[in-house]
Formats: sequence, C-alpha cells, structure tokens
Amino acid sequence: MAEAFLLANSDVVLARARAGDSDALETLFRAFEVPVYNLARRICRTAEDAEDVLQETFFEVCRSIGQYRGEGSLWGWVRTIASSKALMRLRRNKYRDTDELEEEIHVPLRQEGSTHLRMDLEAALERLPEVSRAVVWLHDVEGFTHEEIADMMGKTVSFSKSQLARAHVRLRRWLGEEIAV
Amino acid sequence: MTHLSMEDLTLLRESLPAAGAAAAREHLAACPACQAELERLHQRVARLRALPTVAPARDRWPEVRRRVVAERRRRQYRWLGVGGFAAAASITLALLVNNMSHPQPVSASTEDISRAMDRSHSLEQALDTYDPDSRVTDGVTAQAAGELEDRIAVIDNQLESAQMLDAAARNNALLRLWRERVGLMDALVDVHITHASNVGL
Repeated sequence: MAEAFLLANSDVVLARARAGDSDALETLFRAFEVPVYNLARRICRTAEDAEDVLQETFFEVCRSIGQYRGEGSLWGWVRTIASSKALMRLRRNKYRDTDELEEEIHVPLRQEGSTHLRMDLEAALERLPEVSRAVVWLHDVEGFTHEEIADMMGKTVSFSKSQLARAHVRLRRWLGEEIAV
Repeated sequence: MTHLSMEDLTLLRESLPAAGAAAAREHLAACPACQAELERLHQRVARLRALPTVAPARDRWPEVRRRVVAERRRRQYRWLGVGGFAAAASITLALLVNNMSHPQPVSASTEDISRAMDRSHSLEQALDTYDPDSRVTDGVTAQAAGELEDRIAVIDNQLESAQMLDAAARNNALLRLWRERVGLMDALVDVHITHASNVGL
C-alpha cells in the first residue's frame, strides 16, 4: 500500500487528477480504496453501507481534488472526507442511541481455557453502539483528536471523551480483562 | 483508595495535559492496579490497530467514474447555459440555415440531419425522465454507461468542430455524427432500461 500511496502523492498524478484525467483519478481510487473501505466498514453497520461510503468519498475526492492544496498528507485529506461520509451515513441511518441496552445484541463468545468466556476483539468492537465504535476507531486507530471528532460529529469534546471511555469500559468487560482492584 | 477512571486513563495517553492530569499521574505512579489498567488499555488499542484490513467485495470505481463523468457533462451544459442536445443542435441549426440561404452541392439532406437531431433529442429526454443518476447501478452497467457517455461527449465535441468544414463536407459530417449520436444514445437508454428490467425496477 505504501507504494500506491507514494504514487498517489506524486505531483504528476495529482496535477493530472486536478485536470480531470480519468486515469489519474482512478490511480487515486486504487491507492486509497482499501483504507477508506476499512475505515468505513469499522464504523458502518453493514458492508453495503461501507461500500456506499467508499463511493461517496471518492465522488467527493474527484469533485474536490482541486481544493487539496498539499497542506498535510493526501491520505489525511481523503481520510477526513471518508470519516465525514461514514458519520453522515450513521446519522442518515438513525444510529442506535449510545445508551441502548447492549445485552440486546447477541455476539457469540469464545471459549478461553476451561473457565473464561471471552469475546473476540473484532466481535466486541462490532457489538459497541455505532457512535462509541466510531469514536474508538477514529481516535484510537485513525488518530483523530477529540476536537476533530467532536467537530465532525457536531458534538462537544466532552461527548467524544466520555464515549471513548465508556467504549473502553465495555470492551474491557467483554474481553474478560476486568480485574478486581 | 480511589482508582483512576477509564476517562482519566484514556486522557493520560494524550500528549496535551488535561485538567487534573498532574494529580492523575501522581496517583498512577503510586498505584500498581492503575498502572496495570493503563497497560491493558495500551495493549487493547495496539490490538485494535492490528485488526486485519477489510477490503471491498466489489469494484466501485466504474460507478464513481460514471457519476463523475455525468456531473462533468452537466456542469459543461450549465456553463453553456443549455442542454447537451441544445448546444450541439444550435450549432447544427445555424449551419443548416446558412446552407439553405447559400445552397451548396451537398449530398446529405437537411431533412435527414433534422430527423437524426429529433431522434437524438427524444432519446435524451427519455433518459432524463428515467433519471439514471438517482438509481442504484451495478459495476458492469456503470462501466458500460460511462463508456457510452464518454463517446457521446466526443461526438458533441466533433459536432462543434464540424462548423470549420466547408459546406459539402460539413453536411455529410453532421449527418454521420448525428446518426452516430443517435446510435450511442439508443445504446445508453438500452443499458439503463435493460439493467432496470433485470433487477426488477
């Protein structure tokens, strides 16, 4: 992927993409389609939603590539568009309230040794309410700050911080990491 | 002894000091339980970052490209202040009027050209009514439609260039181009309508 990133960042490809060259725009798409889809899939509820986010993101990238001035990495610019589109998709789907009873969602547990039942991390992440999952992914994996997340979500910084903490409390419990203190 | 909350622990990872961070760090330095909790948090985040990357099952580029091309065409039309048909047609009509007032030995009749223009106009209206941009399209359909739209755009450019030709060559070129445009528009309508009937729309 790094090679593709380098290629996508090359001045020639960017200049051609800005001029509307279809091959250059496809080069950008091929360079970033997997990381954009991965981000969208971790945030959205279904693969179909994530594919739609991928499509919307690149439609926007193709329309707005002329506005990218090279301040910051190209991936950072694309990632912000993708995150906004994924969050818009959550809002459009009227995401579940963050306080919804988590017990309503059943995810199979994995047997660990003879005594502990643990949920696998991927399943635990999937089980989180949409907003909490989005905050965890955007903050802990993609590296957005709470200020940036709050801005994209139209919420406060405190909201982002508390969602992250609550998500980790849940993950810790589901992953069987709790210890008596 | 009150241990650090999860919010305290998550904020301790931030590079910018949060309010109360000094007291939290002081507690952390003296509390093995909170140190263990912070370590588990670090490990959990590392595992999140190491989750396998998921890739899309379908190629979405053809659909993105089709929408980009369609939007580009719309922008061009808006910039011209008229529809694609009208832009190309106005040039042709002006040329035909000129031909009639200054008769030339031409082989293609103005009636033939007008008929081809009318047919192209009808097909374009049918496509506008169907409104393909608002519909879900599979990759194969999107790719086929995109290629046809590209070729129609090329024909429109050639229609504009045709005005540079002398009268005889011009009428022949106009008839050929308008007929080609009709063929491509016909195919474009077919691609969308066939797709719609295949998926039961």
